[in-house]
This record gives sequence, structure tokens and C-alpha cells, in this order.
Amino acid sequence: MTMPGTTSPGLTLLVCAGLGFLGLAALCLSLARHHQAVWSHPPDHRRRLGLRGAGWALVALSLAVAIHRDGWAFGPVDWLGALTGAGLLLIVVQSYRPRALLWLAPLAALLTVVAALGVPG
Amino acid sequence: MKQGFRQSMAWLHTWSGLVVGWVLFAVFVTGTATYYRAEISRWMQPELRREATIAPEALAASADRAVAYLQEQAGGARTWFVTLPTPERPLIELFWRNRPGTPPGHVLLDPRTGAPAAMRATRGGDFLYRFHFELNLAPLWGRWIVGLCAMVMLVALVSGIVTHRRIFTDFFTLRRDKAAQRGWLDAHNVSGVLALPFHLMITYSGVVTLALMYMPWGVTAAYKGDSQAYFAETGQITQARPAAGAPGTLAPVGPMVARALATLPGPLERLTIVNPRDAQSTVVAVFEEPHGLSHEHPQVAFAGTSGAVVEVLSGGLAPAARTFTTLVGLHEAHFAGTALRGLFFLCGLMGCTMVGSGLVLWQVARQPKHGAAPGFGWRLVHGLNLGTVAGLPGAIAAYLLANRLLPLDLAGRPEWEVRAFFGAWIAIAVAGAWPAPRRAWRGALAAVALLFVAAVLADVATARGLWDDPAWFLGFDLALLALAAGFALVSRKVARFAGPRRARAAGAPAGVPRMGPA
Repeated sequence: MTMPGTTSPGLTLLVCAGLGFLGLAALCLSLARHHQAVWSHPPDHRRRLGLRGAGWALVALSLAVAIHRDGWAFGPVDWLGALTGAGLLLIVVQSYRPRALLWLAPLAALLTVVAALGVPG
Repeated sequence: MKQGFRQSMAWLHTWSGLVVGWVLFAVFVTGTATYYRAEISRWMQPELRREATIAPEALAASADRAVAYLQEQAGGARTWFVTLPTPERPLIELFWRNRPGTPPGHVLLDPRTGAPAAMRATRGGDFLYRFHFELNLAPLWGRWIVGLCAMVMLVALVSGIVTHRRIFTDFFTLRRDKAAQRGWLDAHNVSGVLALPFHLMITYSGVVTLALMYMPWGVTAAYKGDSQAYFAETGQITQARPAAGAPGTLAPVGPMVARALATLPGPLERLTIVNPRDAQSTVVAVFEEPHGLSHEHPQVAFAGTSGAVVEVLSGGLAPAARTFTTLVGLHEAHFAGTALRGLFFLCGLMGCTMVGSGLVLWQVARQPKHGAAPGFGWRLVHGLNLGTVAGLPGAIAAYLLANRLLPLDLAGRPEWEVRAFFGAWIAIAVAGAWPAPRRAWRGALAAVALLFVAAVLADVATARGLWDDPAWFLGFDLALLALAAGFALVSRKVARFAGPRRARAAGAPAGVPRMGPA
């Protein structure tokens, strides 16, 4: 574990927020109403389970990254903050421009990878 | 109980939320602003020039100048508080507590000369900070009112969770195409549920911050009511040294500052000098909090007359005390860097949205049927809602505007800024009480947007030449413009909103709002 707060806390938050955004987006799309807004049909059973599993896994990964980077004291605080910010963005996007998720999700994935590479350790 | 559990919780949520909602909205708004208290203070004193560094010798010299000023102007005071200059705020801030019944003193000094700093007088961000937990009332009254409202808020939060039937399926849902009541309910649910960890943390830790005042019995029993003894024994402050009752001379504090800096690492924040003219005077050097969740200030205490170290306090709190300081630390979020602080601020805004939309929801759910005259209760809630939700942000904008427009040499300038704050608040609330509700909301929200724009224009027009870092001031102004845009947008939405035909034809339901779709 690295010393808390010694390097770029902003980047850690960005990785957490990116993973959180992708995870919450998957969870959101596993719900019929929101899936329909993007693809105009509800998800079938396998797809719903897949999205749900991926969603929880990504949210959990986001917490794991936060704790690995910032320790047990700051990690959960960072995680909740990043998750709340990501969730707000997601909700605004999917209620005003649901189909924008189709390019926002890949963009979030790209940003997360870039930020993760920028985070030493 | 005839009703089901969920119905009774819905009742509890509706009414507990309404009763404390107005105070809570004010507490949330000023608390959210307090995350940027230092920035607000800096904006309100554009004469301030920041410095790259402050050398330890300069710090010691500042302390000596501060004490020289206090010896001359406040010799009879019981306690002196000296906040030392930092690169961000190169000023000496003095505060002194006189005998009970006499008001305390306060002054800002230029650390180079020791003379009062040539800057406009203002309470800056500190006014909003104190309003957050004292509401500008006598401290005891204000803290009790805010505390009781926060305790009721915990009730409203928990009953709200119980009431919300589809907390997971509606987690991401913000319906814009349905009746007004549905939209407000979604906004209330989303802002409440999404930031729920924050809301629970901030409300609970807020009550804990003043828990010793609300529940003093432990300290009364174990320490005979001496809370200072409790704080000292739990290692949060240094041991109190009672006055000897005989006169004494304070030794120079410069060497004590140097000694403190050599004893502990980290930046020195302030000195507390107790009983300065007593033979048992005490000088406590208080350091900034080291990085950590917990709110702890390392301290070095000196015997005032000799300058000898009597106590060094640095870490090592017992678990109970550490739980308390960690909750206080979480509430204040001093540990948060720029990005995390931005997220805390966002969560605060969502808290404001939750309380504000909850208040409006009560009103919308009980909207009188088309053509029917609203009852007294509805009109009262409408007036208080508008007066609070639009009035307070308008008051903050007027406070900033007054800071730029009032004459610089006006006597009692800080008090006039506060009068502008309350004047604008009352004006918006009173003006909004007469017109038809929709026109009133539209007009009041537009007025708030205009006040924020006016504050920015006044800043650019009157203070441009004073900015030491134009990009920073423009950034602050941009944030104010963003707030103005937000209020203008909501005002426009209120003006343009037309519910779907179905809902209008049926008329808005008049009973208790359903907290989730049946």
C-alpha cells in the first residue's frame, strides 16, 4: 500500500469515478426501463444477469482500487464521493440523452485506462 | 395503529421533513458554501496579496508584533487568540475574549508592520460558517435549534428510506414526461438516495460535533461539568493552567514560536494565550491538522512567564476520543484535496436539492384544484418555501454584492453586509408572498439569478484593479455565473412547465403524496 495522499489524489478519484460510472451504467441498463431507452427493447434474461454481474463487479473493483491506493481510512471516502459524482452524471445523461451512453461509456473506459496508467503503483 | 407500517412512516417523513425543512435548507446551503469558506473570504478581501513562503523567523516576528498590539489594545482580556500568517493568507488575525458581558475584540494586522491591515472590513466566509450552526442567533439558541432540526432530519432520513418502495428500481429514474408531482418526487428521491451515504454521515456527524452541548451529563457526572478537563484528559487539548491571581509578565513569544517549530513538524497555525498578565499565564502553539480523517491539532504548551515547555500533545488519542475527532474531521472535510472537496460540495448541493424539492413536493402534492382558493396552511407553506428556497440564495448573492458596492470607509461595514444579506432575504420573501404562485416562483428565481450576475459585474467593475491573481478571481466569478445560470434555468422551467394533458385533466391529487408508485 502506498502512503495516502502522496501522489495525485485527483487521478485516483478519476479511476474510481470511471469504474463507478461504468458499473452503475451496467446496473442501470440491466433495468428494463433504461435498457429500453437505449436499445428500444428490454434485456433478455442472460443479458440482464450479465449486466448486473458486470455492474456489481465494476463497483466493487472501484472500491478495491480506492482502498489499494488511499488506504482503509481515505479509500471508502474517495469511493463514495466518486461514486456519487459518477451516479449523478449517469442519471442526468440517461434521463436527457439516453443514447449518449453509447459513446459516453467507451469514453469513460478510455479515460479510466489512461488515468490508471498515470497512477503509479 | 390502523395504518400499515409504511404509511405511518410516510406520514412521519412528510411532517417531520416539513417542520424542520426550512431551517435545514438554510443549514445545508450555508454548510455547502462553507466547503469554500477560505475562498469566499479571499474573494471578499481582494486587497489581500498572497506570498510564496513565510520564513520561520518572519513567523516569530509576527507573533511578537501580535503580542505587542494586544498588550497595548487588549491588556485586560482573559484570552488572546493569534492566527499566524500563511502564504495563502499573509495576515495576523487577532481575537480576544474580554470579561463576561463585554463583547470580544477582533482585528487583522499586516504581519510586516504590525499595524491594522489596509483592507475592507468584512466577515467574509466566516459569516456563512457561523450561520451554518448558529443561524446568526445567540450561540446557545442557534446551536440548539440547528441541533434539534438535525436530529429530526435523522428521523426524516430513516423514515424516508422505509417509505421509498422502489429504492433500487427507481435508483436511476428521473421522469421528465409525467405530472409535476412525479418529477419533483423523482428529483427528491434521486438527490436523496444517490447521496444518501453523505446525508447520513453529514447529519449524524453534525450532531456529534456539538454532542457535548446536547448531552452534557457524562461530563457533568465525571468532571463536575468542566468540559475543558474532559477535553484535556482525552488528549484533545493541553491541560488548563488556572490563573495564580498574581500579576506576571509575559516572556517574548518569538522564541516560543521558534521552539514550537523545532519540537513538532508541520505548519504552525495559531497561538492561544490564556491569562496574559497573570503569573501563571500559558501560551499554547497550535499546529495545523496533519493529513488524516481525524480532526486533531498537535499542540505545544509553554509557561508564559518563563517560556518553558510544559506539555507537548501530538496524536495518541484513546479510541473514544478518536471516534469523536474522526466524525468531526469527516464533517469538516479539511483533509479533502481539490477534487474530493468538489465532490463533497456536489453532495452538499444534492442535500440542498433534496430538502428544497421535498418542501416543494409538499406544496405541489396539495395544490388546490383548478379554480379553488388555496387554504391558509397551503399559502403559509408556499410563502415560507419561496422565502427560503429562493430567499436564502438571493441573500448570499446580496451579501457578495454589498461587499463590492458599500463604501470602503463605511463605519460598521461588516454589519452592513449582514444587513444586506437579511434585507434581500426579507425582500424576496415578502415580494414573493403576493403574486400567484407560479409567477412568484418565476420572478423570485429570476431575481436570484440577477443578483448573482450583479455581484460578478460589481466585482469586475470595482475590484478588477485589486486582483492579485486575475485567473483565480475570474474562476470564482465564473462559479457565481454558473449559479446564476442554474437559477435562471429553473425560473424558465417554472414559467414554461405544462403538465401532460392526462394529469391536468385529472387535477393534481390532493391527498397525502404516495411516496412510490402503487
